[in-house]
Amino acid sequence: MRPIRIVAVFAASTLLAASNQALAQDDVLVLGDDVQFDADADFGFDYDLFGAAFDEDNSASKASWLDDFTIKITQQFSGQVNNHSVTIPSLFSFPREAELETNRLGANIRYQNAFAPGWLLQASGKIRSYWRDDYEYEAEGDKIDIEYRVNEFFLQRSFDQHSLKFGRQTVVWGETTGNSVLDIINTNEFRDFNIIDIEDARLNQWLLVWDYFGKDSNFSSFLNIYPEFNPPAVRGSPFFFEPAFNLTDYDRDSGLQFEAGTKWRKSFEGSDISFMAAYLYENQMRFEDPVSGIGDAIAQVNDFFLLGFSANRAVGKLLLNFDLAYSRDVQADSFSFPGTASLANPVNLKKDQIGTSFGFEYAISNEQSVSLGIQAQKLLDEDEGLLPGQALINDGVFGSWLVRYSNTLMNSDLVISSTLQGDLDANSLLALLGIDYTVNDNWTVSGQVISITSNETSPLIFFDEDVRLAATLTYSF
Amino acid sequence: MRRTILGKGLVCLAAALLLIPLQSLAQDLSAREIMEKLEDNRRATSNSALSRMQLSTCKFGVREGKITCAERPRVKSLESVGKGYGAGLRDTRSVAILLEPAAERGIGMLSFIYDDGARDNETWLYLSALGRVKRIASGSSDDETEPGSLFGSEFTTEDQDTGKLDEYEINLLEETVQAGREVWKIETIPNAERARKSRYSRTVLYVDKERFVELRIEMYDQYGKEIKRMLGSRVEQMNGIWVARSTTIMNLVTNRLSNMAFLEMHTGIEVPDEFLTQRTLTDAAFRETELEKLRAQIN
Repeated sequence: MRPIRIVAVFAASTLLAASNQALAQDDVLVLGDDVQFDADADFGFDYDLFGAAFDEDNSASKASWLDDFTIKITQQFSGQVNNHSVTIPSLFSFPREAELETNRLGANIRYQNAFAPGWLLQASGKIRSYWRDDYEYEAEGDKIDIEYRVNEFFLQRSFDQHSLKFGRQTVVWGETTGNSVLDIINTNEFRDFNIIDIEDARLNQWLLVWDYFGKDSNFSSFLNIYPEFNPPAVRGSPFFFEPAFNLTDYDRDSGLQFEAGTKWRKSFEGSDISFMAAYLYENQMRFEDPVSGIGDAIAQVNDFFLLGFSANRAVGKLLLNFDLAYSRDVQADSFSFPGTASLANPVNLKKDQIGTSFGFEYAISNEQSVSLGIQAQKLLDEDEGLLPGQALINDGVFGSWLVRYSNTLMNSDLVISSTLQGDLDANSLLALLGIDYTVNDNWTVSGQVISITSNETSPLIFFDEDVRLAATLTYSF
Repeated sequence: MRRTILGKGLVCLAAALLLIPLQSLAQDLSAREIMEKLEDNRRATSNSALSRMQLSTCKFGVREGKITCAERPRVKSLESVGKGYGAGLRDTRSVAILLEPAAERGIGMLSFIYDDGARDNETWLYLSALGRVKRIASGSSDDETEPGSLFGSEFTTEDQDTGKLDEYEINLLEETVQAGREVWKIETIPNAERARKSRYSRTVLYVDKERFVELRIEMYDQYGKEIKRMLGSRVEQMNGIWVARSTTIMNLVTNRLSNMAFLEMHTGIEVPDEFLTQRTLTDAAFRETELEKLRAQIN
């Protein structure tokens, strides 16, 4: 049985179980008129199950400098569990053996302090320790490796109708969750298949953000004088492929690089709309072979203009999302694959591109929700400038779709979620089933099953039939 | 001394004489008028108000005729600021910010509740992980679904709704006693238009005749089954307004209950209009500064 089928059966069973529970919920508990609250135990108030809430000394201040910190400690294991081989038709075949890929202990620390009227300091960072059998442990020559990273670090000043934020931060554009064509301001890093949500992959950059809050609409503008790019895959990670030449950063001495953009947003009854314009660099660098044939690969960056529009519309329980992007002078041959660097390609052309992402979110009940997002892009005048026999990697309409379903059970302690993600040409499918169990306000346990199916026309062919299991233990305080 | 007692007696007598016509006036209220007074009272609790609440949710069971939590409740504490808008201040705008648990601190919800039945209420949520403000579809499109939940509790936006009385048939069923208090038992039945947006085909309210506070609400589905029950207790005057400081809603289908405990409520607060906008969700420096100003008004 192919792994995807196993996951499909598992997902179907889960959905069936969930639907059975929903059916079971039709049995209404009949309460008599004389039923009262249990006044025993710690309730301390007749008729009032939650009387203890009023027992606290409200006047007592419990403020502490530690309140400004939120800390999350995680231990994660994950691995590929399906022994199989991957065949690239007419090229080669290689084995994929079951192995542990990650075994890491990490801490995420977030600090937020409004230390004076109108002032706020916010910072977040993470530290990771890679244990035995983690791919980073092995990449370091079987040594425990420790990595630090500052995510957010910004100072904010708000006054009158203005807000200025300077420091490392993210800027999120677009309404579609997960695969918006407008969510391209931030760089991102998909190190492992455990990260499939763009929200978890965004990297912060040094930005100055100015927000103007008008009476009926808002402006939000940013300036980035040190544009960063998607980092190359970490050695040893599933996305890492030994490059022919060393991949380096691009030559920043060649002139001042900056990114800037602005967004205007207005809310109407039942709808929000935004218009945006930006001058950006593509997040993915493009690497070319060194001229001499030896040495480092030459990193190329590409600047382009973006015009965008986004809107949402609430219709009853349904929320419709729509994003539209027009990009001028993007690289026609950018090879966009999560976590990898662009590979050299013979086609080096700039073209205009139009893209859209749209979808819906629907809350089936208080416990269940489902969402769909479709992203589609097309290069304009795609054949123009091509030599005879040349073809673009992204020919015609290309893009992806994303379906998410989540069901909250056991008083919100258990969340079952599933995600299906594929490309529009139906060349690949990534299926994820996740379970998150909240033990108490501090402890959570989560598990994931991730399956990949692909044919040879997708870069995901290297992971065809992979099945990954992941488990994470988290302590938050 | 004697004069003082006599004086007090006269004051009491005068008060009693004044109360008699009020009481008879209350008796003469129509079901619609009772509902309007009830809603006025509800709105007063969120008009120019700063509140601190605790929201507890658990699976419940009935043991020896008493309802009790069958598991440890999940507890969230939040701070809420609200203000009335529109004609007669019958529309409400409010912001609620989660203070606890730590993992959810800073999550905020902005709600616009409209009196006019033709206007759907609006809700926006800010999740720091998402990095942006997100509109939440709060209306209900069919009878089988529930409207948006308040921070994962059994309280829904529909349960918090005010106004839209024109879209209901309102009947006074009887005068009875609930929790030792004299109450009006009133049923509200949505018209066809409202029924399409509501999960409830009929609601029965037990309204305290003196305080205009709901002591009990029963919500029925389209098959006439009671699917939710709300009980108000710990009725006290807070800033001159009668409030059920502890409100518990029981979902009889999922056997989950949520309790909302008003720990603090301060009315008559000058709330700037700018505070009740999406800026409060995203601009933490602005939010904390304005909240400090609001808290300072209490002191």
